[in-house]
Amino acid sequence: MEETETSKEIEINVNVNGKQYQQKVPSRMLLVDFIRDRLELTGTHIGCDTGHCGACTIMLNGVTVKSCLLLAPQANNSKVLTIEGLSADGKLHPLQEAFLEHQGLQCGYCTPGMILSSLFLLKRNPTPSDDEIKKAIDGNLCRCTGYLSIVKAVKAAAARIGLGSLDQ
Amino acid sequence: MRPRSFEYYAPSSLRDALTLLSKTEDAKVLAGGQSLITIMKLRLAAPSALIDINGITELSYVREENGGIAIGALTCHDELSRNRIIQAKCSLLAEAANVIADQQVRNRGTIGGSLAHADPTADLPTACMALNASIITRSEKGSRAIASSDFFRDFFTTALKQDEIIHEVRIPIPPPRSGGAYTKLAKGHNDFALVAVAAQISLGSGDSCCAISIVLGGIGSTPTHATETEKLLRGQVIDDRQIRQASLKAADGLTLNPDFRAPTELKLKLVRTLTERTLRTAVSRARGGD
Repeated sequence: MEETETSKEIEINVNVNGKQYQQKVPSRMLLVDFIRDRLELTGTHIGCDTGHCGACTIMLNGVTVKSCLLLAPQANNSKVLTIEGLSADGKLHPLQEAFLEHQGLQCGYCTPGMILSSLFLLKRNPTPSDDEIKKAIDGNLCRCTGYLSIVKAVKAAAARIGLGSLDQ
Repeated sequence: MRPRSFEYYAPSSLRDALTLLSKTEDAKVLAGGQSLITIMKLRLAAPSALIDINGITELSYVREENGGIAIGALTCHDELSRNRIIQAKCSLLAEAANVIADQQVRNRGTIGGSLAHADPTADLPTACMALNASIITRSEKGSRAIASSDFFRDFFTTALKQDEIIHEVRIPIPPPRSGGAYTKLAKGHNDFALVAVAAQISLGSGDSCCAISIVLGGIGSTPTHATETEKLLRGQVIDDRQIRQASLKAADGLTLNPDFRAPTELKLKLVRTLTERTLRTAVSRARGGD
């Protein structure tokens, strides 16, 4: 969405997936629109646009947030990680591999958010139970695969990653 | 859905934020923004300026001091739910914070923001009132301490003045042999409460109840004490039968707002049932169990 009002502009400096960006944005621009429209990182999705579905989940300074509930200026001087940042060297992250292998996705719309929420969980809790996984992806809605295969995928990724290698 | 345009300020000190707030017409304070940004996107609110306080790191802390727990306004729900002091001294607050929305919202939403927003179905207003919290505000003119029972005035309406910011939430540390619990029933378990009950109890010799506070959420325009049940239990020796009898009165004298999600009769039943369950847990914790 391109905005018509340009009087209230803020200059922001944001590190996204390791790359530094400096841009002028309207104060009211949402962080998700900045990521998708300005940086063209369209892996971060907009589902409900009301803060319910979690498709726009990203990491801001190491914690998951919904980028449709933040303003772009709020990311000034911060570090953002989007789904594109997980497979930066062209090699899939173990979580992405596990989602593929266990059919943790069908249409794929919720997947970027699911994976970032799962990554946040595994950083805190490398060996989660099924219930802990379910609680961790509480804020991410999937409307096609169903959650069983997603939970399986997260468990498989946890086993593969093991301890101490989640420095993203 | 995008907000109306506004001026955006990101002060790095509380003093700068207070100056901005006093001289900016129609400004709103932006804390976690998990409610404010949503209602601005829906154009239910369209402030002319936002004062983003997230850069004021001095507002995020949990400390034990002077017989109380001092919680900085910017402390996020995730921290409340995991903080050791809060878990040990007023576990009902941790329990309430842990059932707010989802992980992403808990990572971002703050205690000050939740109290200032004053949604009567939200978790922290109910929990803070049961814990007899004080809300410490700041403005350029000075500081005020407002009892949580005086803070919530109506739907989304508090005692905060336009030039004030919530600075801290202070919770008196309950005496030994105290216990608390928070129970919420919602349509989805991460949704706003249909009915929520926060109960805090202190036991004296022979399991007599020396202090009790039962607060209901999702009922009226503000969190509401279950005064009849409190009256029946205060000073009494607490056992299961007492709890059951007293909980039957939990909905007495309440004025319920119409709720499209559930009929009033069901909500009254839920109040009684959840009060009993929550009290049992609180009493068991006060006795040292879990």
